[in-house]
Amino acid sequence: MHRPTRTNWSRLLLVAGLLLLWVAGTAQAKVTGISGTFFDFTAKTDHISTGEGNSLLIYGYSIAGSRAQYPGPTLIVNQGDTITIRLTNNLPVSTSIIFPGHKAVASGGTAGILTREAAPGGVVTYSFVADQPGTYLYQSGTNPALQMNMGLVGAIIVRPTGFDPAAPTAYGDASTAYDYEVLFLQTDMDSTYNELVEFGRSAEINLNDFHATYWFLNGRNGPDTLLPDNVSWLPTQPYNCLPRIHPGDKILIRWVGASRDAHPLHTHGNNFRLIAKDGRLLSSGSGNGADLAVSDYTQTVNPGETYEGIFTWTGAAMDWDMYGHTAADNITLTDLVNNETGAAGPDGFDDNTYEYVADHEKPMPVTLPGIQELTFSPFYSGSPYLGGGAFLPPGEGGFNQHGGYYYMWHSHNEKELTNNNIFPGGMLTFMIVEPPGVAIQ
Amino acid sequence: MSCKRFLTVLPLIALLLLVGVGSSQAVYRQQCPPDTDGVDTDGDGIVDNDNICVQIGGGDGYAVMGDGRHLYTFGFSAFGGPYTPGDVVSGTAPDPADAGNMWSDATNPGLVLGANFPAPTMHFRQGQKVFLTLHNVGMLIRPDLFDPHTVHYHGFPNVASVFDGLPDSAIAINMGSSMTYFYNLVEPGTYMYHCHVEATEHMQMGMLGNFYVDPIQDNGPPITVNGKTYNKFAYNDIDGETSYDVMMPLQIHSFDPVFHTEDETVQPLSFSTMRDVYPMFNGRGYPDTVNELTPAANPGDPDLILNKEGHFAQGMPSLIKATSGDRVLLRLSSLSTTEHFTVISPSIPMKVVGNGAQIMRTNGDPTGTDLFYMTNSIRLGGGEATDVILDTTGVAPGTYFVYSRNLEQLSNNQEDFGGMMTEIIIQ
Repeated sequence: MHRPTRTNWSRLLLVAGLLLLWVAGTAQAKVTGISGTFFDFTAKTDHISTGEGNSLLIYGYSIAGSRAQYPGPTLIVNQGDTITIRLTNNLPVSTSIIFPGHKAVASGGTAGILTREAAPGGVVTYSFVADQPGTYLYQSGTNPALQMNMGLVGAIIVRPTGFDPAAPTAYGDASTAYDYEVLFLQTDMDSTYNELVEFGRSAEINLNDFHATYWFLNGRNGPDTLLPDNVSWLPTQPYNCLPRIHPGDKILIRWVGASRDAHPLHTHGNNFRLIAKDGRLLSSGSGNGADLAVSDYTQTVNPGETYEGIFTWTGAAMDWDMYGHTAADNITLTDLVNNETGAAGPDGFDDNTYEYVADHEKPMPVTLPGIQELTFSPFYSGSPYLGGGAFLPPGEGGFNQHGGYYYMWHSHNEKELTNNNIFPGGMLTFMIVEPPGVAIQ
Repeated sequence: MSCKRFLTVLPLIALLLLVGVGSSQAVYRQQCPPDTDGVDTDGDGIVDNDNICVQIGGGDGYAVMGDGRHLYTFGFSAFGGPYTPGDVVSGTAPDPADAGNMWSDATNPGLVLGANFPAPTMHFRQGQKVFLTLHNVGMLIRPDLFDPHTVHYHGFPNVASVFDGLPDSAIAINMGSSMTYFYNLVEPGTYMYHCHVEATEHMQMGMLGNFYVDPIQDNGPPITVNGKTYNKFAYNDIDGETSYDVMMPLQIHSFDPVFHTEDETVQPLSFSTMRDVYPMFNGRGYPDTVNELTPAANPGDPDLILNKEGHFAQGMPSLIKATSGDRVLLRLSSLSTTEHFTVISPSIPMKVVGNGAQIMRTNGDPTGTDLFYMTNSIRLGGGEATDVILDTTGVAPGTYFVYSRNLEQLSNNQEDFGGMMTEIIIQ
């Protein structure tokens, strides 16, 4: 366990855990981004911090004079709107933006291979109609094999016509309703490229020779993915990736393949329902909803693809009471309505807490090993029960404020759970099932 | 707890430590309660046989690659009996005597340096309640590693974090101790399992195995498909679309010998440069995938696949034998830690009937719209599984191949004509 090439989880997560305690209740219920129809981008250089403490030069987009950010700002727009992006280029090389899935029109700048480009110091403007709801990607259209590795990527979310923030759907259809949403923008980086650019040796970069050394979710390596948005010491990596739900809640996952390699994302805890690909509902026809949706536990996101899935977790049919209730607790469950549809009649779950009625007061069928026989996660509450907690040896646990269940959501090509040879890190984060009543905003 | 209150209990804690609270002496033990609920949950008509107890060890060992090279591995071992090809550990009768014999039972290769590759296949039935005990037996070659181990039952629905086997979110069992995981099997399908401790390392080192659950429909009335009656199905499908005559789990594995050597020789581990050059099905590279020799039937045979410790550690051939007209179910899954692989069956088309342990119908619902499709290729990344049925109706007797279409993977390192390939023999 204790070898120089690895990092101790506890130490690594100390700060992350403390921050979790601090921000619990302010974590993401919806994707963070900027809204509107006009966006004024400036492309410029800056640096990011990686999970194991390295600093790398990036190219990034900035808004309104702020620092460049990785990834670029997530644009949250409404279906039917005409979106305009003005790109000012403060990079030492020409650059441009393309919008796969959208029919963008470019003006100004100079002619390029894929679209019109802005020379260093120049300006180019793009506009497109966001005619279909869904999740999309934008990226550099100039030497993208290098410039995407350098950080010129971002996500676009198009809200469906008639979008109601109080009852959100991904595609305006009831089969795509959700309670929370989370962005999983996946990138990978061969840090050799970044170093050669920084040293002024760009000519030595061989774009055919790509061996990623870093893997990111929303521009951060694990475990920085767990930190809140906009922490001061990651000024160029504003977005976190820390989904949280209660039992029975639905969370919409928006996967974006902004990477160079394919990455299989595994959702610990349960299967998800895959409802859309590349901004198109998996549907046999208008009005049929997501009737071509399949259920899966790992989704490969290939470069350039986007997917949407809806995940839920109830703890149903564990065959033991996940709250550890006993008859002595004298807790009576109520199951008079279907929690999902609101229709009268039982659905097997408590109407308030989503507790699975059939397992109420059933004892756990096994005894857990003694504390000296176990190695603990900092995120273990000390109790196997949801919302529980128990005394742990000094220095163990402590980073699970509400006794939630933590599940890793990560690339299952496990080599990618590292930061430049340091395990753990890379393309990983946690999804937290919080006990009923815990505030998730 | 306030500081003041904590101070008041401090002497109590100190006292408890002095008298050795908890289990100060680690022991191997399994938990295997009898089935007394009086309910038949697996549909076989018997009310007291639904609890299934399984024991495995977590430790180290060796595996021999297709080119004859022996690689140091971490792995799970069968416990409570020798492990033979095709053997599945479902329903292993609990033997209390095993617990005391961990270190001395010479007949049981599942102990010291007894890691199997792949891990013992887990095969159960929907409705069963599984008590899976993991004994952490330690690593003989790396005594400096006091690594805990876990079982991550990959794909188990609505799992509680304490039984998810993720050390980064809950608990892992230390060397010299045992933990019993409990799974109430309510969903059939093709899963997989692996150790999740320091996942990149323990998985590259080989703690990987097949895991599948038969549907309860197998215990129901038979279903006739194309004039043939079936009682074996991949999923609860109502209409028999996932019925099969012959089944083979094919799990994708791949090893990087540099990494294994670094671990064996106590060197810093190369994660970023990990490059797998031993692609395998079920822990073997071709032609070992079609080698069916066993120590019991073929003692002393020079072609018997024994590791450098003389153990038959890789007991799972992938040779598929069927009669023309049979429906062949392949449970394809990948636990490669590095890359995607595309497996093709160029001569016999594959019908995709399942994905991620769910039938390929709307939302995985048996009554949903059919989303089955025909193909000759399946691409899998780590942690993905797909079920395909090969209908051999009209297929002439002969030998057919299933292999990785990533052609550089048809090798055992420097040795060509090997790697991720196996045969289907149609009689």
